[in-house]
Amino acid sequence: MIQLHNVSLAYQHDASALNNIDLKIGKGEFVFLTGPSGAGKTSLLRLLYGALTPNRGQVLIDGQNITRMTASQIPLLRRSIGVVFQDFKLLQNRTVFENVAIALEVLGWGRADIGKKTMHILKQMGIESKYNQTTQRLSGGEQQRVALARALVNDPKILLADEPTGNLDDANKNQILNIFKEANIRGTTVVVATHDRRLIEQSHKRLVTLNKGEIVEQVEKETAGYDQAI
Amino acid sequence: MNKWKKKQPATIRQFKRPNLAGDGFGGRAGFFLSRAITNIRQNVFVNVVTIGTITLALLIVSLFLLIFVNLENATDSLSERVQVTVYFDNELTSQDQAMYREKIMVLPGVSRVSYVTRDEALKRFKSRLRGQETLLEGVGAEILPTSFEIALKRSHRETVSVENFVTALKRIPGITEVQYGEEWVRRFNSFLNILRLLGALLGGFLVIAATFIVSNTIKLTIYSRRDELDIMSLVGATRFFIKAPFLLEGLIQGVVGSTLSVVLLYGLYEGFLHNAGSFLTFNPASSGFSFLSLEYIAGLLLAGAVLGFVGSLTSLKRFVNV
Repeated sequence: MIQLHNVSLAYQHDASALNNIDLKIGKGEFVFLTGPSGAGKTSLLRLLYGALTPNRGQVLIDGQNITRMTASQIPLLRRSIGVVFQDFKLLQNRTVFENVAIALEVLGWGRADIGKKTMHILKQMGIESKYNQTTQRLSGGEQQRVALARALVNDPKILLADEPTGNLDDANKNQILNIFKEANIRGTTVVVATHDRRLIEQSHKRLVTLNKGEIVEQVEKETAGYDQAI
Repeated sequence: MNKWKKKQPATIRQFKRPNLAGDGFGGRAGFFLSRAITNIRQNVFVNVVTIGTITLALLIVSLFLLIFVNLENATDSLSERVQVTVYFDNELTSQDQAMYREKIMVLPGVSRVSYVTRDEALKRFKSRLRGQETLLEGVGAEILPTSFEIALKRSHRETVSVENFVTALKRIPGITEVQYGEEWVRRFNSFLNILRLLGALLGGFLVIAATFIVSNTIKLTIYSRRDELDIMSLVGATRFFIKAPFLLEGLIQGVVGSTLSVVLLYGLYEGFLHNAGSFLTFNPASSGFSFLSLEYIAGLLLAGAVLGFVGSLTSLKRFVNV
């Protein structure tokens, strides 16, 4: 589903953010990206949804080489990718419903279908009762569930998350993790960038560790320890 | 793959086959318009600031325009005085009058030709010397010349045209004495040129300043909502889909702002300016201080719409990079 070949990325006036990354993530996989701050986790995610273009190498999403995509093709790519962030990135003055519906409006859905599908996903996230509240009045956990609802409402092939539990307490972290797992069970490929060791250890999923822009360790899923580096 | 599709529950399938929000241009435009109106409702403060800025900027420009247009009108009525007179020593027969009139009318730039008889000339002379009629005792109409008074078209009242016209006039056999107040025409025209130059300079500066202020205000308001632009592009909105509601919003702000500025200008005009007519008119016969014509009002409304639309367009270019 996701393939990176020899990818390097450098920001202006800065040392390289990513260096010779080779990574394959299969369809339906669940992968954690970890590493210290500045290791390149966020840069790697941004490459995957076309917010950045690598200086070298190829990025393939579902067989399409996104480094060769034109600016007008990137939005179409993003429609099959859901993204969530640590700071949620919600429209503060809009309601929960509007925040989620926007992902379907973009696709040109009709009003009735948007209503049904949005309420359906809000129910899955357990926040359907708050549909008419503005997001600024919600707790952190609730806001992240709205962000997840927006990311998942159009059944994306890939779900990307950048420190999704960074602002949440333990109870909320578990709920969010369960939502990721459920999405994964339904067939969505999930990539979560985090340095929350507890979250990673709880999940027993594939782990890719980055440091200074390079992959330093890969651990296959559901192994007991971290000694089976590839 | 096909097998999996068949197993899909009916409820899910209906989500996979959505109706488009609006098929064709009308539906899409309706969607964007409703989105723009929702945006305005949800960002009242930002919209009030933008509309207020557009209103004030256009009010300043339109106030200047109002004063300038009235000055132009005043000078226009003054330019009626640019007139060429041909004198004859003798009273002309009606055939001669018709012959000269015909020859003069053929010349370019003539708007009106009137013949002044000796009696008419004496009458005018007397009215000019009102209170001192004794000076005219013993003066008969026979000592005064007869004349043709020629009014020129608006486009032929500047110095060079008048001079060319007089040269052409003198070529008509029988016409020898022509007067047109050369010095006055020259001074009047240089006054007009300075007025127009000043108007263009001042007006130009005002328009540039207004455009600058409005475009920067719009840029700031769009900057304050860049999160919204980011989120839209994150969920896969095309550039057009992101920009369209903002552009419509800019258009609405522009039209509302310019309408308000015209209303305020009319208020100012009714309240203060329309009594100030005598201030500007040199000719008591002119109509006084008038409000802007419909063409100018339409132009101002259009300018507001363009300002809002183009201001949003250029600002969005900076912030939308899908």
